[in-house]
Amino acid sequence: MKNQFDTHILPTWCPGCGNWSIFTALKQALAKNNLQPHEFVVVTDIGCSSNAADFINTYVFHGLHGRSLPVATGIKLANHHLPVIVIIGDGACYGEGLNHFINLMRGNHNITVLVCDNYLYGLTTGQYSPTTIKGTITKSTPNGSIEEALNPLALALANQTTFAARGYAFDLSHLTNLIDKAINHQGFSLLDILQPCVSFNKTQTVAWYQEKVYKLKTVFKTKPEAFNESLRTDKLAIGIFYQEDRLTYDREDKVLQKGLLVDKKIDKINIGKLVEGFV
Amino acid sequence: MTRKTSFNIKISGQAGEGIKSSGLILARALTRLGYSVFGYSEYPSLIRGGENTYQIYASINDVYSQIKLIDLFIALDQKTIINHQSEMNEKTIILYNKAKFSLPKISLVGQYIPINFTEIALKAGGSPIMGNVVSLGVVLTLFNLPLITLKQTIAKEFSDKPAKITEINHRMAKAGQTYIDNHHQKLKINVALPNTKKKRIIITGNEATALGAIAGGLQFFSTYPMTPATSILHFLAQEAKEMGIFVKHVEDEISAINMALGAAFTGVRSMAATSGSGLCLMAEGITLAGIAELPVVVVNGMRPGPGAGMPTWTGQGDLQFVLHLGHDDFPRVVLAPGDAQEAFSLTRWALNAAEKYQLPIIILSDKYLAESDYSLSPFKSIYENDRFNFADKPSINFKRYSLTNQSLSLRSIPGQKNGIYCCNSYEHDEYGLATEDPQLRTKMMKKRLSKENLVINDLPLQLTFGAKKGKLGLISFGSTKGPILEALKNLPNIGYLHLNCLWPFPKNQVIKFMNQFEKLICLEANATGQLANLLKEQTAITLEKYLKYDGRPFYPEEIVEKITKFVIAN
Repeated sequence: MKNQFDTHILPTWCPGCGNWSIFTALKQALAKNNLQPHEFVVVTDIGCSSNAADFINTYVFHGLHGRSLPVATGIKLANHHLPVIVIIGDGACYGEGLNHFINLMRGNHNITVLVCDNYLYGLTTGQYSPTTIKGTITKSTPNGSIEEALNPLALALANQTTFAARGYAFDLSHLTNLIDKAINHQGFSLLDILQPCVSFNKTQTVAWYQEKVYKLKTVFKTKPEAFNESLRTDKLAIGIFYQEDRLTYDREDKVLQKGLLVDKKIDKINIGKLVEGFV
Repeated sequence: MTRKTSFNIKISGQAGEGIKSSGLILARALTRLGYSVFGYSEYPSLIRGGENTYQIYASINDVYSQIKLIDLFIALDQKTIINHQSEMNEKTIILYNKAKFSLPKISLVGQYIPINFTEIALKAGGSPIMGNVVSLGVVLTLFNLPLITLKQTIAKEFSDKPAKITEINHRMAKAGQTYIDNHHQKLKINVALPNTKKKRIIITGNEATALGAIAGGLQFFSTYPMTPATSILHFLAQEAKEMGIFVKHVEDEISAINMALGAAFTGVRSMAATSGSGLCLMAEGITLAGIAELPVVVVNGMRPGPGAGMPTWTGQGDLQFVLHLGHDDFPRVVLAPGDAQEAFSLTRWALNAAEKYQLPIIILSDKYLAESDYSLSPFKSIYENDRFNFADKPSINFKRYSLTNQSLSLRSIPGQKNGIYCCNSYEHDEYGLATEDPQLRTKMMKKRLSKENLVINDLPLQLTFGAKKGKLGLISFGSTKGPILEALKNLPNIGYLHLNCLWPFPKNQVIKFMNQFEKLICLEANATGQLANLLKEQTAITLEKYLKYDGRPFYPEEIVEKITKFVIAN
């Protein structure tokens, strides 16, 4: 094993794929937090980035397409002491699983969502995704896509996320730091990670990102400022856009406030009082 | 003079008039008097208007369902009198408020007695809405029954309100009693009083399901509201804090099942509840439970479909769906409780069995079972639950999906040292890592499917009733149990097999029953005879089909009539 977080399986990503770098950044962030392999959970979706499930040595739930967010939420609710990290693609998070993204975020469930955003569907060989720029020609849009691209950061900011950030796969140290911050944020952390897809994306290449990407100097103090920046498409800022403190879901739920759900004993259940109610 | 041993009361009017709530108070009052009671309600998918009915069949002997012929009918509007003529005969007493509406100008059956409940309420110092409580006092007095248990029920109902609320409601009931004593002595019907100290509770199928889940160690419940399963959510949400159960109303059914699976993976007992449409949405998630060998219980409260169907009516049309739910093959258990007692015990069993066998269990309920009021002996208070098939101390190189020896492999939970594995929606190896290897794939599929051979030895015994052998045997599943048992009281030579487990198929028990009878009829509430088709597939025996799919439950009278005709003709 190369490091404690590697399984014996060598990643199957294409040479030059952003996932190699994202995966390295994640492992570095985990090591930085002194987490043992069994002390956290990774939930992946279906997609190239989600194949990390086979490469990362920890408890992994490799779920159905678009459904990793409810799975991650269920894990967190069952044991809210476990750090839960989601690895999900743009197609899964902003397409198939958008309903979960929008609604679970509002509960401020304390999970870290790493969206590997390559502007298309990689594993199914190159169809467009919700973040594909209008007019792009792909296998499923040979005449150019008609929809305007979905803006994940703007959406999340408008929708009460307590942590919104964007990263870039090939700035390894910057990304590692962002992942570290996202994991440690108490609440729903969205980190949209831009990456090229060397096999299928001829537009968002390394050169293209070089032009567009720039680093934020500081976190925006107000949400409207962060929101304004998120609307930009001429330049893509990377860094933490916005962060706030708000009670996590488990701190507000009346049952979870009392302790971990997984610790609740069920060896002896008394329903006497409930039965009395039916007399 | 012969006293009636049973009687049937129906209240009918528009939605929003408190019919269900006052009907339930009456049902509880009768239960406290010692009667066995069955409460059945009908309502349209509306918040106001339409027609709501509630009927109570009460007896000194055990009752199992509603019956058609009404002894006492309280009509809250004119239209309802027309609608229910076929349920009345010349002896039926119909009470109606002359001040609100006149009788319909058609030929009517029964004895029509005008009573102004609202006026009686006002005269006794109450508000117009309390006419409902007046009517309850009237009903009990018409049957020559004491008010004591009605007063107890009212006191309990308003126990969290100021004492004067109870007091004024008591006065309303008494006013109803006085009115009948003064004006309608001759109308009174003599009913036998129960001679029992037997304490009973009155509970719906949904409440019993929820209680059974709690008793079975439920820890996590995620769901999306859908009639007729919704009251499971309401009940569990209400009791969550007290019982330490996590309850979440989620954004859609797909979230519900996937969230429940995330929780199950983490070591917690999980359940979701829905109706047919919602179950369609949950299908993929249930296949995930199948391939990843995760425990989960899903309650499907059936209603007529397909599509949105008829939300507030009943049916049994999802049987073939749940038997084949999902793509490709995986092990499952399908249960179909026949009444509230079974809803309790089978749900409790399911919570334990799902964990033991690491698979999804679907419980088929329906509107009729979910929302009818059943009277039964109180459930006991304390329930003990073991935990099953967890790896206490996994060693390094732990194989969650170990192929050595058995169908069942121990599982670890996140946080456990050395227990690391991948819980995978893809086909996987013994560590859970994705595989496309042909041998591994074949072995894993066999491993999973073989679990059904273990479950079949653990299934609840399927019950038979009536004649042990003879000319005709009846087979059905789920909530048709009630009307059939009621019908059997008048069909002494007929045998009946009630199936509350449909999968794994209890073949031996079914064949044993079938061999005792010359002819067999399958009763079910769907259009194609889904149970009959399952029976034919599994036993090669073709049964006659007796189908009803109009959204209404079977009635014992119609079963008696049809079966009697069949026996004569054959």
